[in-house]
Amino acid sequence: MAYTTQQHTVQRFDSELNQVAALVDQMGHLALDQLRRSLASLNNEDAADAHAIIDRDKLINDLDVQIDEQIFRLIARRQPLAKDLREILALGKVVADLERAGDETRKIAGLTVRFYEGESHPPGEPILRDIHTMAAYVCNMMEASLAAFAGLDVERAVAVLRLGDGLEGEFRSTLRRLSTFIMEDARNVGYFVDIVLGIRALDRFGVHAKNIAGHVIFLAAGEDVRHLSADAVQHLLDGRPPAAVLDPGADAGPS
Amino acid sequence: MIDSALPVPDRNRPPALSRALAAPQPTATVGEIHCADPRLLCRNVNVHYGLAHAIRNVSLDIGRNEVLAMIGPSGCGKSTFLRCLNRMNDTIDHCRVTGEILLDGQDIYAGDIDVVPLRAQVGMVFQKPNPFPKSVYENVAYGPRIHGLARSKRDLDEIVERSLLRAALWDEVKDRLHEPGTGLSGGQQQRLCIARAISVSPEVILMDEPCSALDPIATARVEELIDELRESYTIVIVTHSMQQAARVSQRTAYFHLGDLIEVGTTDDIFTRPSHQLTEDYITGRFG
Repeated sequence: MAYTTQQHTVQRFDSELNQVAALVDQMGHLALDQLRRSLASLNNEDAADAHAIIDRDKLINDLDVQIDEQIFRLIARRQPLAKDLREILALGKVVADLERAGDETRKIAGLTVRFYEGESHPPGEPILRDIHTMAAYVCNMMEASLAAFAGLDVERAVAVLRLGDGLEGEFRSTLRRLSTFIMEDARNVGYFVDIVLGIRALDRFGVHAKNIAGHVIFLAAGEDVRHLSADAVQHLLDGRPPAAVLDPGADAGPS
Repeated sequence: MIDSALPVPDRNRPPALSRALAAPQPTATVGEIHCADPRLLCRNVNVHYGLAHAIRNVSLDIGRNEVLAMIGPSGCGKSTFLRCLNRMNDTIDHCRVTGEILLDGQDIYAGDIDVVPLRAQVGMVFQKPNPFPKSVYENVAYGPRIHGLARSKRDLDEIVERSLLRAALWDEVKDRLHEPGTGLSGGQQQRLCIARAISVSPEVILMDEPCSALDPIATARVEELIDELRESYTIVIVTHSMQQAARVSQRTAYFHLGDLIEVGTTDDIFTRPSHQLTEDYITGRFG
């Protein structure tokens, strides 16, 4: 007789959990796609597409509500414990972070509208360069976070935390570079505030990606790593005893 | 305090045949078996029913003012272990218990121990309420009377009232003390059995699935009572309801095929258990 299985005895529980996880994955890739499209709209000076991106945020908000409803139902009906409980709590937190990450992408699309709609005078390409550098950094973070979430990959999640630790430094060095544009040409001041807000939005997007990586570690390893540096998390995980696993096949036991 | 690594006394050594049948070796327990202020100390406890090895080398402390929940699938040995704690297994002919169980430092399996006062010290509440076919009053008064705890009728009245108050039943039965205990509702009968157990001033109360025959409201009342009784007693509860174990206990022990697999704080066991078997069981992944 096999005593352990990866599946719940009530298999409907598995399918309900998988359904929620699939929706969260879908929401994550939607948020990532929103960021990429908003950057493309900025690059292509396409205000119409930027409006479409802003409207599409409703899809993320709808998924947020839909997933929350499913989580409520799962808690009420299945009363999850241990890993299941951690998974459901983590899914709820991932959803909250993705919803906010989606809101940040709207701000990037908003820059396109502000700079390129109507008779406005758009900024030159050099002053926008830092937005794309920062965007590449946080896109990389979110991609890795979503992959870590899909594969419950703790190592990858720690790598995202490490990128997250460098995020503040990226933000500050970007501000320094932008300052030089103002010093070189005071006419850039008008764009400065918008671009700083855009970079701040990207920074927040990266912070949400980092949070998601933290939720993955909580889910997979049971450790709450919020407010810890990547090094501290690695140290914490290295110090954990190996999971005790009894080989069911080796245990005859009493009849 | 006894070190779990100490060898068991010779009288506890199982015969060669049982040792051979006991293979493979018991699984080492994950988690902290010790507690800060133990009332019961169990070391290397083994139980055999004939040739079947039902409890395999279990060591565990049970603390004062603590509710310990014992969980595990049917046949895992949790009820057997519970019954070792007041020698209820003595009543089964082919049952053999070895190892040490100390109550306040006293070996309850020592030759000079009288099981009658022991079972008053370590009271038990069963799955199905089992009041005597007598009045509510007599159900509670019976124990103190036979143990000589009351010198007068007035003493006895006080014990009955105090026990029923502590069992949160007094207000419901004070006007029907002389009606049959069996006429109460299921939940009231179970609280009557708890009152009967605490009327003889026990130190430990063992509960074997005390709410499995009760509706949710009666269950909630018993759980509330368990929480209140913890201030005065050590409580060990066997339950099949994971939610109940999570609600009422401070520590939880998970049994599997006669092994104590894991013991830890209830908070840890139900949020991040260390052993895969514990996690599989409490998340409903047993096939």
